[in-house]
Amino acid sequence: MKRLLVLGAALALTVASAQSIQGNPNLRGEITVWSWDIAAKALEANIPGFNKLFPNVKVKVLDIGNQATYDRGLAGCAAGGGDLPDVYSVENNEAEVFWARFPNCFTDLNTLQPAASTLRNQFPAFKWTELTVGNKVFAMPWDSGPVVMFYRRDIYSQAGVNPATIRTWDDFIAAGKKIAAATNNRVKVGVIANGQDDEWFRMLANQNSCFYFNNEANAVTVNQPGCVTALETVKKLIDAGIVMQGGWNEQIQAFKAGTVATSMFGAWYEGTIRSNAPEQSGKWGVYPMPASRPGGVRAANLGGSALAIPASSRNKEAAWAFVRYALGTTEGQVTMLKEYGLVPSLLAATRDPYVAQPQPYWGNQRIWQVILGTLGNVPAARGTQFFQEARAIMVKTQADYVAGRFPNAKAALDAAAQQISQATGLPIAR
Amino acid sequence: MKRSATPYLFLLPYLAIFALFWAWPILESLLLSFQNTRVSPPVWNLSINWGRILGDAAFWDALRNTVLILVIQVPLMLALATALAVALNSQLLRVKGFFRFAFFAPVVVGAVAYSAVFRLLFNQNGAVNAFTGLELNWIFDPVGAMAVIIITLTWRWTGYNAIIILAGLQSIPKDLYEAAEIDGASPWQQFWRITVPSLRPVLLFCLVLSIIGTLQLFTEPWLITNGGPGTATTTLGVYLYRQGFQNINFGYASTIAYAITLLALVFSIIQLRLFGRES
Repeated sequence: MKRLLVLGAALALTVASAQSIQGNPNLRGEITVWSWDIAAKALEANIPGFNKLFPNVKVKVLDIGNQATYDRGLAGCAAGGGDLPDVYSVENNEAEVFWARFPNCFTDLNTLQPAASTLRNQFPAFKWTELTVGNKVFAMPWDSGPVVMFYRRDIYSQAGVNPATIRTWDDFIAAGKKIAAATNNRVKVGVIANGQDDEWFRMLANQNSCFYFNNEANAVTVNQPGCVTALETVKKLIDAGIVMQGGWNEQIQAFKAGTVATSMFGAWYEGTIRSNAPEQSGKWGVYPMPASRPGGVRAANLGGSALAIPASSRNKEAAWAFVRYALGTTEGQVTMLKEYGLVPSLLAATRDPYVAQPQPYWGNQRIWQVILGTLGNVPAARGTQFFQEARAIMVKTQADYVAGRFPNAKAALDAAAQQISQATGLPIAR
Repeated sequence: MKRSATPYLFLLPYLAIFALFWAWPILESLLLSFQNTRVSPPVWNLSINWGRILGDAAFWDALRNTVLILVIQVPLMLALATALAVALNSQLLRVKGFFRFAFFAPVVVGAVAYSAVFRLLFNQNGAVNAFTGLELNWIFDPVGAMAVIIITLTWRWTGYNAIIILAGLQSIPKDLYEAAEIDGASPWQQFWRITVPSLRPVLLFCLVLSIIGTLQLFTEPWLITNGGPGTATTTLGVYLYRQGFQNINFGYASTIAYAITLLALVFSIIQLRLFGRES
């Protein structure tokens, strides 16, 4: 699979155009935005800035939860476009199901002024792949989720572990054992949602240039070598007894209680830690994810979203103005980064001076430089319209493999590939 | 002519609504089950969904889990409910009204609310582990997760069934017991020779309701375990929902719905054969 352009190169290629949009007091009306959790709060934080340019557009952001946004969006499209907002949040991985099944449910952003295609160079190319069908652009790129290790400085140093020496997953396992020993086995170094999600597998697979499907979305690739390594690593971590098993809520409880010393996630998790555990300010830091082999890739992507405008919106012009302000200007993107840690994919915003500042919560580390520094090494991966289906199969396969129901990771993934192929009708890549 | 039309005119509003909201969706989903709904617009493909279902490991997992709940949870619950009903009916029990209400109360609680509570109780750091001294990770263990679902369902529905069985108990003529006592039958013999046979139609009613409920089971596994870990608690209802509303594959979801209907039909025939002769 081809590597992404290194971010630096992408920056050099981009014309350093000032990101700004023209205000318009004649544009009026009310628009509704659907989103979730900190993403909704981040969009809300952009309303005052937006209203300086467009004083007569009233924006209403509704936080209806991640799964509900997806489910209600699909239900709305299936019902022919009823009950949808003017601006709709969608995760990149899940986006293609909308364009494939309901091509008329969303506005082609090239039909609006200015056409979305004129904004193309302002974002890295990989953010557009899942949002574009032929010449049509159905959503505007928002944030991305470069994966990083969030760790507790105090616990690491108490156990005598220096994060700078953790370069491979084997190093990480050794560190985890040291931390367990130093804390009487009370503290683990990760939370894996084995059996409920396959996030760790996806992050590790992406790191190893493997995913459920190839980037052309025409073959199943989940049993390729990179994925085999990823699945083996997940089992190694669990077998070593250094991680606990739990879901989203359990993980938040664990870091609040100080029983987990590391969280691996997309960088958007920064806002989740900071807003859930303000009392742990200064105790946290970040370092890049360990590689599968010495000198290997230490980057991956998990999540990242986009904003679309349903075709049923009565005020597309106002909706498009809001989307362009929030996602297409440095000001809008940096507001969301500052307040809620959403990592911009707008290239100009990644060069903003704020990115270079030390962050007090993170022990004055310049975390955004560390995180954005990995972005150029992230191998491309594509969700396709079958993402949810493949994920359900993989969650089960991982749980079975961890429980010892397959002789090895390759056999487990061969079985998964067979099932995904049968469920989607796509062939298994050789 | 005019006279014979009158009753149909009265029935017309109902028939119209029935056709629109019941008959048409039933027919539409049958048609959908023969279409590939993953392309837009859907195209006819007679075998795509029905051909998939028999070889679909996830469907068999869902079916196996549902049957597992049927053969473990339903008999367990009905036995408990019968014992409870006999106790609630006892002459020795004081404040009967209070106990009857207390055991019936779980049904009144909203399914979403009590599911959230059970998820918390069986959390690794939850109350159940704290009180029993166990260190089980219930929700993340396949057997543990199924146990939680079974315990939860039993908690919610035992009292409900007990109240129905209690009504059945009270309709058994007292003189049967008096006659048995005169003949020297022990309470145990009375229970098996009089109570259980007299309760047969009531128990059959509870059984039918429970089987239908289990075949439709969705809320508890969805909210407590999300069908997991893996597919350990994915029921047919959960699998249908996933296919329909997460994967937006209405064709395949309709096929699963018809498979469930066929199963319900088979179970009904078996029940009628086994229990339905007399009454």
